[in-house]
Amino acid sequence: MSLLSVKNLRVTFDTEAGRVEAVRDVSFDLGRERLGIVGESGSGKTMTGRAVLRLIRPPGKIEADEMTFDGIDLMRASETEMRALRGPRIAMVMQDPKYSLNPVMKIGAQLTEGLRQRDRASKPEAYAKAIDALNAVHIRDPERVMEAYPHELSGGMGQRVMIAMMLIPNPDLLIADEPTSALDVTVQAEVLSILDNLVKTRGMGLIFISHDLRLVARFCDRVLVMYKGKVVEELAAKDLLHAKHPYTQGLLNCLPRIGGAREPLPSLDRDASWAL
Amino acid sequence: MLIEIENLSVTYLRNGRQTRAVEGVSLAVAACESFGLVGESGSGKSTILRAICGLAPVSGGTIRIDGKAIPTPRGRAFSRRVQMVFQDPYASLHPRHTIDRTLSEPLAIHGLPLTDAAITKALTDVGLPANFRFRYPHQLSGGQRQRVAIARALMLEPEILLLDEPTSALDASVQAETLNLLSRLRAERGLTFLMVSHDLAVIDHMCDRVLVMQHGRAVEELTRDALATAQMKTDYARNLFAASADRMLQG
Amino acid sequence: MTALTTWLRDPNPASRMQSRLGQSYLSWLRLRRNPLAMIGLTITAALIFIAVFAPLLAPHDPITQELGRRLLPPGTSGNILGTDDFGRDILSRILYGSRITLYIVLLVILTAPVVGLVIGTVAGYFGGWVDTILMRITDIFLAFPKLILALALVAVLGPGMENAVLAIALTSWPPYARVARAETLTVRNSDYIAAVKLQGASSARVIWGHIIPMCLPSVIIRVTLDMAGVILTAAGLGFLGLGVQPPLPEWGLMISSGRKFLFEQWWVATMPGLAIFIVSLGFNLLGDGLRDVLDPKSASK
Repeated sequence: MSLLSVKNLRVTFDTEAGRVEAVRDVSFDLGRERLGIVGESGSGKTMTGRAVLRLIRPPGKIEADEMTFDGIDLMRASETEMRALRGPRIAMVMQDPKYSLNPVMKIGAQLTEGLRQRDRASKPEAYAKAIDALNAVHIRDPERVMEAYPHELSGGMGQRVMIAMMLIPNPDLLIADEPTSALDVTVQAEVLSILDNLVKTRGMGLIFISHDLRLVARFCDRVLVMYKGKVVEELAAKDLLHAKHPYTQGLLNCLPRIGGAREPLPSLDRDASWAL
Repeated sequence: MLIEIENLSVTYLRNGRQTRAVEGVSLAVAACESFGLVGESGSGKSTILRAICGLAPVSGGTIRIDGKAIPTPRGRAFSRRVQMVFQDPYASLHPRHTIDRTLSEPLAIHGLPLTDAAITKALTDVGLPANFRFRYPHQLSGGQRQRVAIARALMLEPEILLLDEPTSALDASVQAETLNLLSRLRAERGLTFLMVSHDLAVIDHMCDRVLVMQHGRAVEELTRDALATAQMKTDYARNLFAASADRMLQG
Repeated sequence: MTALTTWLRDPNPASRMQSRLGQSYLSWLRLRRNPLAMIGLTITAALIFIAVFAPLLAPHDPITQELGRRLLPPGTSGNILGTDDFGRDILSRILYGSRITLYIVLLVILTAPVVGLVIGTVAGYFGGWVDTILMRITDIFLAFPKLILALALVAVLGPGMENAVLAIALTSWPPYARVARAETLTVRNSDYIAAVKLQGASSARVIWGHIIPMCLPSVIIRVTLDMAGVILTAAGLGFLGLGVQPPLPEWGLMISSGRKFLFEQWWVATMPGLAIFIVSLGFNLLGDGLRDVLDPKSASK
């Protein structure tokens, strides 16, 4: 049985300018694998990720024919049940660690807070678990990081701490929204290998949201390509470079390449029918 | 050489502590050349551009344009020769000014004739419809804003354009359009580019020569051919290249 | 009418004037959507209307005393809001008093925030020793209680309405300078300021054209919140015999003179108090609505 099953997910916003359909009839099944969602800004990829956690603020509305996670109907779950799911079972990593960590709290306190409050862990127990989590994301010298404030960490370190924090309750599903776009290429590779390792060893499901097709192609098992709130193409990641849909092809072609010709890059001619 | 930078050092004083953002970097860019600076965050590549513009404190070394050391403060003559395009198009346009005001400001500052035709031409030159003129930045997409920022930089008809990650905040398709626009403008107007990016593929597409930077120091200078054929001499440049391997030409 | 509104709402205006008028029209539409702001606007408009037409609206002369009709309660025929201790009609005095209130408020709005804005933005923009000097001066002004400082100034300049206004303005600019400086610090390192500096703009041009527009909304909020205080400080000065002089019908002066009978003849102090309350509320609501209108970004959401 799949871990997460979504059928005809719709996210709509009723604004003064009219109804905005941010996500339109998105369906997918996720096992214990790495699912990539790619698209340009405004394609609804972030909204899809947030809708799974029911984290859409009013006036946004979530509708779906089906949205079940491990046998739990996410559409019918009460707010209390959702809160019990967010974090312990489904975790989310955002793009920029700068805005996700509390700037006036030490990393250690932020990491152990959940354990102490939710799991009623003793202080040394929580500390040991936090150190383990930091080790799991390849942070050298975790004791020093526990005593640091977020501003004392580099971007890559901050993002690793975020991932460590999300992993402490051992979630079944991790939603990562552009987790590496704020990072340098060399650091990016490291963070990706950490995520990869976690999926393999812990049997976690991963939804990896990104605008970077090449990254997703390299890293994920399966890819959904979104355009204006719709999934235009779903394919195995290894086939991404041979995508059928003109939008996916266009996105790939318009990227400059090292050693490529100096002629103008092919532009993406949008077809109105893609959005239908 | 149009731009000559010798032994440039930039030191920020923060909370009584000195931080060296750039240390002893030298480079030279010929007229009509496109030169790239590549490196990871904190490598000081953007700081070099800001130092040229007088937006970062130069603590040592010289910057010469056309053989003459540039004055401090930079002055109006400088701004007619050198202009800059910033990374984040959401932060580089004044949120309370219309596009019209943003584009006419440079003309007004320099006392140049402020005509409707000048503004309209500036807009059409960067591929924007003339009726965008009285819109506010928040009514435009990221790519359109970056076009406005490019148009603004070109209002004074400079010879040198400093580009600070001009496409890193944009979607892939918009990046392609913006890079094409920059290449076209460079060819049409004979501009000299000094371009900063973290993306080797973008640098390779746009630049003739590239300087790899790390921790505020210059690591290695490469020509475009050396980059494409992976003929790096230093480990760091090779690592950077390896991390960008998926940006290689396919097949 | 429809042709005019479509011209105003044209998303692609053809001239600067059309764009500016269109923007004003959109701002007006935005303001109209906010019912509280409309209440504020109505109150402010009513204040202006009453001030202009006070002689036509007032049933009695505000100054002529009629000692036979002293301290009549509200509802007495001919004196809807009652009379004060000199037998003057309170309604007429309130209506005439709106002129003085409006005059004081306008003069303070025209002076204190402007001084505060200039000092705050200059201090924030230049930083360094300019900032230190200007902000220490601000601190000195802030360190004195407002009324004491105003008192000292009026004592030097002599009593009277204009001097009272000047004293209020001189004591109320420091908070605006503080607000403006804080805003300036957040925008002065932004890319759009760097861009205009790079175009060779002078510091005056950067501050006036690029930084002050960003500081305006928070200063406007501060000003509208301070309006009640301004009216009351003016009243306080009047009470001490240093501001508006009796028998002029100034609202604060009326409250202080009604203080003596607060328990027996409550209306003498309460009616002008209500007037001050309503007008301050009007300014506050309007100011809050204006802030949203002044920020085109927040309005587009």
